[in-house]
Amino acid sequence: MFLHTFKYDFRQCLRQKELTFWLILFPIILGSFFKVAFSELYEKTVKFDAVPIAVVETEKNAVFDQVIEQVSTGEDALFKVTRTDMKNAEKMLKDEKVTGIISTGDLSVEFSSSGIDQTIVKSFIQQYKTQEKIITDTATNAPEKLDTVISALSTDIESNKNIPFADDLDTTVQYFYNLLAMVALFGAMSGVFVAINNQGNLSSLGARKCCSPVNKLTSITAGLSAHCVVQTICMIVAVSFLAFILKIDFGDRLGLVYLSSIVGGFMGVAMGFFIGSFGRLSEGVKMGIIMAVSMLSCFLSGLMVNNIKALVSEYVPVFNEINPAAVISDTYYCLAIYDDYSRYIRKMITMIILTVFFTLGGYILTRRRKYASL
Amino acid sequence: MGNTIVKIDNLVKRYKELIALDHFSLEIEEGEIFGLLGPNGSGKTTTINCLLSLLAYDKGNIEIFGEKMTPVNYKVKKEIGIIMQNVAVFDELTVYENIDYFCGLYIKDKETRRKYVDEAIAFVGLEDFVKFYPKKLSGGLLRRLNIACGIAHKPKLIILDEPTVAVDPQSRNKILEGIQELNKQGATIIYTSHYMEEVEQICTRIAIMDKGKKIAEGTKDELKRMIKNTETLTIEILDLSDEMLEKIRALNHVYETDYSDSRLEVRFSGGKHNLIHVLNLLQENNVSFSRAYSELPTLNDVFLEITGKALRDKE
Repeated sequence: MFLHTFKYDFRQCLRQKELTFWLILFPIILGSFFKVAFSELYEKTVKFDAVPIAVVETEKNAVFDQVIEQVSTGEDALFKVTRTDMKNAEKMLKDEKVTGIISTGDLSVEFSSSGIDQTIVKSFIQQYKTQEKIITDTATNAPEKLDTVISALSTDIESNKNIPFADDLDTTVQYFYNLLAMVALFGAMSGVFVAINNQGNLSSLGARKCCSPVNKLTSITAGLSAHCVVQTICMIVAVSFLAFILKIDFGDRLGLVYLSSIVGGFMGVAMGFFIGSFGRLSEGVKMGIIMAVSMLSCFLSGLMVNNIKALVSEYVPVFNEINPAAVISDTYYCLAIYDDYSRYIRKMITMIILTVFFTLGGYILTRRRKYASL
Repeated sequence: MGNTIVKIDNLVKRYKELIALDHFSLEIEEGEIFGLLGPNGSGKTTTINCLLSLLAYDKGNIEIFGEKMTPVNYKVKKEIGIIMQNVAVFDELTVYENIDYFCGLYIKDKETRRKYVDEAIAFVGLEDFVKFYPKKLSGGLLRRLNIACGIAHKPKLIILDEPTVAVDPQSRNKILEGIQELNKQGATIIYTSHYMEEVEQICTRIAIMDKGKKIAEGTKDELKRMIKNTETLTIEILDLSDEMLEKIRALNHVYETDYSDSRLEVRFSGGKHNLIHVLNLLQENNVSFSRAYSELPTLNDVFLEITGKALRDKE
């Protein structure tokens, strides 16, 4: 009887269009959107290309020439320099062949637009101006140390590559972790159907099932199992899409990302089953409650606004320990940030405890076999 | 009559202040098509839900197949087929899958189940729709699917709660013929409806309910014999004087007359050739009329006479 019920609950769950959208299409669409949105940032951060600039010699400046030579050579060059006159430089700028024009006399900079490359050039000139006196003093007083000073300055200036993007790589991956946490929690929509379809006072199907010679525990267990399997498939599809199609780098802990997603999905289904078992509200209202609770849970865990979780942690620290979305996202953060597994294991245990709590709570609420009204 | 299949004894069900079932008792014998007739809100569905142990009740006792009915009496539940008032099928499963799902809750053996499912599909005439999803079916076909889901496992007792609501006449006839066929095959049927014509057409015995009480019980002829009315004449007359109305009232066996909207209704308690007598009287007094017809008493007349109100509004 379990297998028969499981088979049809599984088919029914797979064919539900709302679930297909939220559990499969939503992460694919939003993940692709994230990928497009973050790809430019990613390219700038990880695969840095030398910024093309034009240098116009309005006055002789040997020290600057030496510095610019140093930062525009080698594999890790900061700039790709074209030395030319002002007329040609302006044409190149207009044709977007260079990002900016540096005049060697007053070290003025000219741009035709603003952006990350322009910020790098501007930062470079500002730092050079700050250090210029040290360089010229060294040239006058200790010319033998000039190479060392320029080398040190070059190193300083090269740090410009990272100035606007500190920690951006981690933040980008964390957005995808948040997306997975959200999908896991959307499993609640699946769980609510198990509750509604097994309670005689919530749906005609529930009443019909209650009239059959099938034990309620068997029916609910088969339903939950079927929905958990579907949720697992959806989580695997979501993680695989992010990891192998969008090439999101989850590091060398991909297996644990899968595991966290699967357990998170179970918790989502169980949470939906628990909420769905409460009261005699219609299916539409219950789905609305599920969405509201999921979104609120995600919001308070910082999946939408970063500093909310910190605020919750400051004022109601215990909430973060039991908020399902926070617990799921924490497991991902633990994988991303910490080398040791103790915190990760603690979060996984919390997820399992919450899953058991929601499942047992749902069972207790739906165990009734006779109703006061239908 | 054979064994008692269903025995409801002194059932009381309250919804706060409202008494939905008021000391309701009933016995249904094996092989019957038993009709529960009553207006909306009379307690028919509440009776069925109590019978199925879905609803808790305040007082009384229910036995099915000689055993006390409880939510965990799976042995009894296995022998019952239920067709709910609201269609209870999965939108995401096809016609075949829905029937197979519900049949599978009762029948474990796959081969037997396959045979039963095919028979149920043929029985309700859904052979051309087996791969359809319920949303693609018309109201009548959906009702037939609902019935197939309830009867596929060949139950001994079939309960149909208003199965023809919002169904076209063709599907309705098909459903009613099907119910009679199931009965011929040996199933005992409990049929609830507020359509008196359906109950009159198929039921071997009828209980009439109102406000949670059983107000009459018997075969349709027995029920009709309980009331005074034996015949109702309806004659369309444009203008009828009070004096003429008095003359009609004075005829033998007339016990009630009603004239309104150019329509005269005359009720008789016995007598023969009543229509001829009334028409002769009208002709003798030069009263012109357009249409005249005679009706034998219906279950609506029974309900009207006992409760003072019509069973349902005319549709």
